Amino acid sequence: MSEQLENEAIQTAEVTPENEAGDMGGQNGSDDIVALDRSVVRRAMWRHLITLQWSWNYERMQALGYVYSMLPVINAVYKDKEERIAAMKRHLVFYNTNPQVGSPPIFGATVALEAQRQAETVDSIKVGLMGPLAGIGDTIQAILFRPIVAVFAASLALAGSYFGPLIMFLSGILWTVLMIPLFYFGYRQGIGVAREVSAEGRLTRFTDMVTMMGMVVIGAFIPSIMASVTTPLKYSQTVSNLGQVHTETVALQSTLDSLLPYMIPIAFVALAYWLLRGLKLSAVWVLVILFVVAFVLGAVGIL
Amino acid sequence: MASYSIITALILAIWAYVGIVLQLGPGLWWTEALIAGFVTGAVVGNIPLGLSIGGSLTLLSLGLWTYGGATIPDFQTGAIVGTAIGAIGGGSGAFAAGFAVALPTALLMTQMDVLGRAVTTIFIHGADHYAEEGNQRGLAAMHLLGQLPWGLTRAIPVFLAVWLGAGPIKSLISAAPAWFSNGMTTAGHVLPALGFALLLSMLPLRRFWPYLLVGFVLFAYLKMPLIGVAILAVAIGFIVSTTQARNERSEASV
Repeated sequence: MSEQLENEAIQTAEVTPENEAGDMGGQNGSDDIVALDRSVVRRAMWRHLITLQWSWNYERMQALGYVYSMLPVINAVYKDKEERIAAMKRHLVFYNTNPQVGSPPIFGATVALEAQRQAETVDSIKVGLMGPLAGIGDTIQAILFRPIVAVFAASLALAGSYFGPLIMFLSGILWTVLMIPLFYFGYRQGIGVAREVSAEGRLTRFTDMVTMMGMVVIGAFIPSIMASVTTPLKYSQTVSNLGQVHTETVALQSTLDSLLPYMIPIAFVALAYWLLRGLKLSAVWVLVILFVVAFVLGAVGIL
Repeated sequence: MASYSIITALILAIWAYVGIVLQLGPGLWWTEALIAGFVTGAVVGNIPLGLSIGGSLTLLSLGLWTYGGATIPDFQTGAIVGTAIGAIGGGSGAFAAGFAVALPTALLMTQMDVLGRAVTTIFIHGADHYAEEGNQRGLAAMHLLGQLPWGLTRAIPVFLAVWLGAGPIKSLISAAPAWFSNGMTTAGHVLPALGFALLLSMLPLRRFWPYLLVGFVLFAYLKMPLIGVAILAVAIGFIVSTTQARNERSEASV
């Protein structure tokens, strides 16, 4: 998708609904705007919430789920069979965005716009917003929210606490429940959704704030989670104490700890980071390399 | 107990199917290794093992996300199969044995994920055909049947691994020498490094690295419990953010 296309989409989207509807009204007569029954809107919302990605595929990704969810609206708005076919085909084009944060407001807005028979605006809203909202949604969920919750839950679980899985379970429910207000937000805003999303100043400040919090927590989590990565090795050194020379055995770990606590965990994280960013290896390759290194070191008794 | 009944295998296969299909709609996170491990642990009667395998897998999935439909290791199936196989016979080697199975399972399952995502392409072509005819029932069926490739690519491997594979695989691993289980346990402890590195590579480290040091010092030197660190983190984030906002406003007004 080109940037030009995106800009165009936002521009189209900024035409106010009143104007657009008025223009179309002049052309097409009085049956343009359909007041959607609330049950139709609700049915579309639930279809989208429960099944959006069931038929996800490499070719058009979430397209079929989108059409399926839109069917109740299409049937309510268009009575003519040919019009319904045209609407279905219009929605059968490539569509993919973040399913929980991104898609509900887009879908809500397009439901509202379909009811006003603004087919072109519907298409441009989808194309224009799916990219930005995929980025925003994935960032909020995958980088800010999930890792912090997951580390917390996993550390509880590793200590044997049932609160670990419980926290994950409740977090999952939280995002599912949020899809409902996000849909209605989009539905009420209609075209205004595009404006809200492009006002990114507030969002940037929010993500910065959460990133700072996340960084502090991760800084503490790395040594906490990986505390069991230690070495059992010992070495002997000669010390002279009040003129008497004798040899004593020192645990290598305590020497390392006095230099920098949790030195080995930090070294492993740094190694993995370097493999990912410096050597640009994929996560699966880094997984294999780390596994082999750790397995060998553990098997021969160095770690 | 040297293997599992067909009923247990079926329950876990259905659980895997439901988990992935829900993930495609409402989300709910049932595919999270922690939840999958816990539930499998409950089914096979070893919840502590499910928690430790699920927890370990969760830690190495920290920065992983299916961006734009990318395939990532399938830690759901890994946790189910790993916990089920590790739980046979139990004992102190259960984690090493389970983890030894969970990791390769999660990696091999990426092939099944690609298969599932590719097979559903058939349904979108079917949907094109039905849309052309105006057949909404056909179109809906194409969409709803799309769950089959997704669900079965998880359910079938789980079923076969638990029903047929569990006994033989477990006895193979039990026969392995001590160095094997030492290596496996160490790998389990080290691999969270990948999760942290992935996460750090996604975050704007160049701008925010000092905050990382703050957290490290609080835990490593000041021995502050994690809850305390988290509370302080909220305070720091809030203070810095509001200070920045105030500075920007005063600059704008000058």
